[in-house]
Amino acid sequence: MKQNNKIKTITLIGILLLFISVILSITYGAKSVGLSDVIDALLGRNLEDYNVNVVQARLPRTLFGIIAGASLSISGVLMQSITRNPIADPSILGVNTGASLFIVFGISFFNIQSKLSYIGLAFVGALLTSIFVYRLASLGYSGATPIKLAISGAAISTALSSLISIIVMPDSSVMTSFRFWQIGSIGGTSTDDILLLLPFTVLAIVVSFLLSDNLDTMLLSEETAIALGLNIGRTRILAALCGVLLCACTTALAGPISFIGLMIPHLIRSSIGSSHKPLIILSGIYGGAILIISDVLGRILGAPGELESGIMTALIGAPVFIYIIRKAKLQSL
Amino acid sequence: MKAHSLKAENLVAGYGDDIILNSVNMKIPENKISVILGSNGSGKSTMLKTFCRLLAPKSGSILLDDKSINCIRSKDIAKSIGLLPQDSIAPAGISVAELVARGRFPYRKFMAPLTKEDYIAIEEAMEAMNICMLADKSVDELSGGQRQRVFIALALAQQTDILFLDEPTTYLDIAYQIEILDLLKDLNKKKKTTIVMVLHDINLSSKYADYIFAMKNGHLIKEGEPADIITPETIREIYGLESVVVTDPVSNSPMIIPISSHDEISGVS
Repeated sequence: MKQNNKIKTITLIGILLLFISVILSITYGAKSVGLSDVIDALLGRNLEDYNVNVVQARLPRTLFGIIAGASLSISGVLMQSITRNPIADPSILGVNTGASLFIVFGISFFNIQSKLSYIGLAFVGALLTSIFVYRLASLGYSGATPIKLAISGAAISTALSSLISIIVMPDSSVMTSFRFWQIGSIGGTSTDDILLLLPFTVLAIVVSFLLSDNLDTMLLSEETAIALGLNIGRTRILAALCGVLLCACTTALAGPISFIGLMIPHLIRSSIGSSHKPLIILSGIYGGAILIISDVLGRILGAPGELESGIMTALIGAPVFIYIIRKAKLQSL
Repeated sequence: MKAHSLKAENLVAGYGDDIILNSVNMKIPENKISVILGSNGSGKSTMLKTFCRLLAPKSGSILLDDKSINCIRSKDIAKSIGLLPQDSIAPAGISVAELVARGRFPYRKFMAPLTKEDYIAIEEAMEAMNICMLADKSVDELSGGQRQRVFIALALAQQTDILFLDEPTTYLDIAYQIEILDLLKDLNKKKKTTIVMVLHDINLSSKYADYIFAMKNGHLIKEGEPADIITPETIREIYGLESVVVTDPVSNSPMIIPISSHDEISGVS
């Protein structure tokens, strides 16, 4: 049918975009390399060549960009569906800031260094913050409406940010290491980081995908979902855990990267509708592509150095966010 | 297909510490259209919510085929009892056919695509509600009456032989109200679907219902056929309203005419 063709077209464009962005990410930078070097590097030929080494150094960054972008974007899909809120995303709900606070706390007071502990800390911080923001927004009449969620997310986020500053500011060594992390960068990741991250993200993405039918049903009214025999509580908790895990893992390794989780799902939803199977897959593809493109743009605009990808997503994301709010008039999903 | 039986036994239910239903016994007549009538706050909506598992009873039980619904898997209940809630929500941009297909949820195998039976059920549901020509339209573009028919079709795709509807005619103008109720009557005639509705309009209730439950202050105070329930005495008891009951010249069902304090009663005894 018409809808299916549209999904196919958008999937094709997405894959093409992802492919182009990967090529750009590998070839473009302070030292540009040619396609032949990329092929050599992938095939393991000419390993002594300088350009081939450049390619191999950029591979983890690119791979991590895909994983991080896909994770943030799918996390946004889940949070929007659970809260029925078109402007929910890990950064707006303050979940990223919660993850950051816990990591800063761990490093400053317990001298925690391993990336696995970062992930653990980020997960707990993100989980507690999301529960707190949701409870705060649910206070008073009419429950957790989109606007109340956004406001309580912003309020909590600001409060937690100042807590982070209190911990970080007085200590110049912590300050230095956190300055870059806090902005959000996919530049400093290694193959080990990716291997560490992969099991968690793959698990969360697979579980989210398996929840598709349930999430579709949950987007009808709560009454209808119950009448259709859906276990709403279980679906909501599983989806929330996946969403938090996805954003916590990425935040732990790259720092808070904003707006990907908001923009991508929203644009995909408005073009293909709210069926979660294609929504999750396409949000993953486009999320990965857009984050890598932001990263490449950061390298172009920041030359001879580079702008962190977190700055780029915010630069692109803020105007899109304003556009979405104006257009959607904050209607719920 | 043998009809499922549904009844409430010594049902006590409410919100928080407020008890709204006080030990209610109600047996839904099979293959008939029943209407629950009552003033605001009488417990009619609470009754429907408890039947449809939206509210857990504080004590007492809901029995489906003499088995407590707490002991039946929720997807299995969803194959017997359907619901049109008062406010339905459609995800933005969803098409009519896609929305109706969501009604197949209790029958879907894990991660499997729609089966042939699913498509047949969706088709039948859309035919019954006369919305086949709207199949590819976006639900956002529909009128109030069309939307309501789409949501009823969603509940029909669930293929339950008991269907609850919470004020299905609210917000609709009189022509759409009659259209919806006619479609429901057809459904009851053709498929023998047991229909239970909460309605505000006494005359429409009397016109379409085979059986009426009258509720007040959380009690079921009277039940029976419209002719036995729609009387000045019962209306006074339920609503505290004086009225005259005449016979509807078209359908011969009883029809009430409320008496206002400004009316000068003449000619009626």
